[in-house]
Amino acid sequence: MNRRSFVRQMCWGGLATFALPGISFAQVKGNGRFVFVLLRGGFDGLAAVVPYGDGSYQSLRGGFAFEESELFPLNDLFGLAPGLSPMRELWQAHELVTLHSMAIPYRTRSHFDGQAILETGIDRPIGSSDGWLNRLLQVMAGRRSGIAIAAGMPRSLTGSFEVQTWSPTQLGAVDDAYLQRLGTLYRSDKALYGRFEAAVQQQDLIGEEPMARGGARRGGITPLMQAAAKILRQDDGPNIAAVEFSGWDTHANQGLAGGALDRLLGQLAEGLMAFRTDMGPAWANTTVVVMTEFGRTARPNGTRGTDHGTAGAGFIIGPRVARSAAFADWPGLADRSLFEGRDLTPTLDVRAALKAAIAGTFDLSRPQLDRVFPNAPEIRGLYDLMG
Amino acid sequence: MAPALRALNGFGLGARPGERRRVSDPRAWLRAQLHGGPPLLRAPVEATPDAIDEAIGVFRAAGQGTDQQRREARQQARRRLVGIAAAESRAALTERITTARPFIERLVAFWSNHLCVSIGAKILVAPLAGSYEREAIRPHVLGRFADMVLASAKHPAMLVYLDNLQSIGPNSRGARAGGRGRQPTPSPGSGGPRRGLNENYARELLEWHTLGVNGGYTQQDVQELARMLTGWTVGGLARPGRRAQAPRGRRQPGAAGRNDGEFGFAFEERLHEPGTKTVLGVKYAESGVAEGERAIRDLCRQPSTARFVATKLVAHFTGDAPPAPAVDRIAKVFQASDGDLHAVSAALIDLPEAWIDSARKFRTPQDWLVAMLRAFNATEVSDTVTAVLRQLRHPLWSPSSPKGFSDATTDWADPDSLLNRAELARTVARRLRVARVNARDLIDVIDVAAGDPLHTFLADGSIPVDERLALVVAGPAFQWR
Repeated sequence: MNRRSFVRQMCWGGLATFALPGISFAQVKGNGRFVFVLLRGGFDGLAAVVPYGDGSYQSLRGGFAFEESELFPLNDLFGLAPGLSPMRELWQAHELVTLHSMAIPYRTRSHFDGQAILETGIDRPIGSSDGWLNRLLQVMAGRRSGIAIAAGMPRSLTGSFEVQTWSPTQLGAVDDAYLQRLGTLYRSDKALYGRFEAAVQQQDLIGEEPMARGGARRGGITPLMQAAAKILRQDDGPNIAAVEFSGWDTHANQGLAGGALDRLLGQLAEGLMAFRTDMGPAWANTTVVVMTEFGRTARPNGTRGTDHGTAGAGFIIGPRVARSAAFADWPGLADRSLFEGRDLTPTLDVRAALKAAIAGTFDLSRPQLDRVFPNAPEIRGLYDLMG
Repeated sequence: MAPALRALNGFGLGARPGERRRVSDPRAWLRAQLHGGPPLLRAPVEATPDAIDEAIGVFRAAGQGTDQQRREARQQARRRLVGIAAAESRAALTERITTARPFIERLVAFWSNHLCVSIGAKILVAPLAGSYEREAIRPHVLGRFADMVLASAKHPAMLVYLDNLQSIGPNSRGARAGGRGRQPTPSPGSGGPRRGLNENYARELLEWHTLGVNGGYTQQDVQELARMLTGWTVGGLARPGRRAQAPRGRRQPGAAGRNDGEFGFAFEERLHEPGTKTVLGVKYAESGVAEGERAIRDLCRQPSTARFVATKLVAHFTGDAPPAPAVDRIAKVFQASDGDLHAVSAALIDLPEAWIDSARKFRTPQDWLVAMLRAFNATEVSDTVTAVLRQLRHPLWSPSSPKGFSDATTDWADPDSLLNRAELARTVARRLRVARVNARDLIDVIDVAAGDPLHTFLADGSIPVDERLALVVAGPAFQWR
């Protein structure tokens, strides 16, 4: 039994009388890093982690059904969509857990409410002024710092714990002379000088190169993930990040292999692999979780797309995972098993998955986990997925 | 900060070049703005009551349906709703940059944020957010707080935003008859939208509009208040098809809140929870729409409300850590005057704590953008301003929660934002007709010491003019008001 699982059993085995000599749990793990990737818009889990083994899959998805031969099989039930094939390497290296029939704990098909719930980590759209990532930073009490890699401050990182942001410049490049002169001006402002300098340093660190090399337009997935890696792999920089991408709200012309959604999934997969590469040795202690606010309808709609659904898929990626697994308490796609006759029925609460992911990365105590996700369910099977 | 600048920047919306020397008595300059009545604003032509009613009607008539035609019709209807929001935003921001009463306009923005609605939350709020500020906030900014809260409670924007329009008393006639068919069906097990009582608005009314989260109310109070507010809904939504025959123009609902199918506040007795309710220990006998009105007025009278509001106001005008004596003073004026915002605003001007050297606030993105445009003598805002504010994470009327936008340094002065402002300053300076403002005059709008490097930069002819202008508004002194 390795030290980690021993410590965990102590926490939850009720052996309250035993005390570890002077080591706090958050320090037992090495230099853990955590990235929360939010795909805004409700990405179609059924077209990403494809339940080809379900007897109803072909008839339900009709023109949208993949052929089994197009998929990378994970087990008898699930296979990865063609766009996600770069992630085979993760599967083979035991760094990939796919999650399915997973949903937020509140029934809504509103992007705004769904994202609010996913990001605040509670069970309703209004009621928390901070995001769960910020609460994670709060319980880690200064041992970690956070950064949002987005054009806005994601709700998940909003809260009393101060976090940084970085976004690719969209307003036109600033030349060095101008920045230098501004730096001179900022030197006289004690409150702001440090922040301005930090911004300039971050900009230097990331540079214009990733944008050019990625070939993608600014804000494309791979350049952003590469920028994230540059920031996170530093020894003394932020180590909890939130990244977000949109474009997943595929109401029309979703496509099949090589179609619009599949290509976007391809960009996601490439971005994740590029991130893994650029993290270098720091990857060993890094976990990336990919989630979305809800899945999509099981049947296609009238415009060759899908509409807002309920349960969907997600990923936990990284060496912290015990072994690759396709995790799902699968409800099935038969008519009677669908939620409201149209969506995949949820059997897994996103918070349970997130709890396991952060527990496995930072070795948090139960009270700490409860502070991050108050009143959230726990599922032992998930904790076992993490090493 | 020099007193004239504190008045122009801290209380106002930003000095224009040359304005500083014209404000010889800063407090008198501010007090003068309290006269002139409520700061009303005319609706832009795209957002008259008829235009809004029609656009909403078309959107609702476009209905559900998955075929291409219906989908396109709905998209177009949505674009129209968003277009109204854009027109209203431009009008509101233009007012901020051109107004002769900037202190009052700052107060409009403050109260609009305090009793906020959010366009981001629901598409139907988009065409209504501008009219909300014009109709529910502006008339009462120098009037009574309770009147403002009541107007806010009854405005369709708020009824839509916080779902009160769907709230049904569990024992009302409407609930027993099956309620409105439009309600989504409840899901088994976990929480979700239910046909019946909706507590959202009542909760936010207590938590963010009046008493404050520690103001001494219980979950029971939330529920009771929600029951009192059942029946407070929006008329004219149920049957959009009727609009074509309805008479033009918006009628004000009568005292009983009756609404003949026109779009606006309506009290529907059928949905109202019967019986006596108790909120904060006070019993309210069944009296239809009057119950909620009384309860809201009583909430506004609570000492906790005076304190909660005073704390926010003092922080807004003195600094992130509002000094206790100042909060006490403003709370006292608020309480003693029964929420007279004219008196409260005058008392803010008189706060010594607002005039000491250390009094300053970090400019929020909206503050910064408006101040920059005023400093550049702009007279209008362009279409891109909405996108710019979104990029700066401060879109107009679109906070991510009923708490509204913060005004604290920690929430806005992150490294990335400073760089964004640096870039944006450069872009705007390049685009504006540079002849409009002289770089040497521009330094007038901020407080910089005699030896500050900015003086040297502004006198350096080798630096491009647009860069010199940008250095003023992107530099640290301009980030504070």
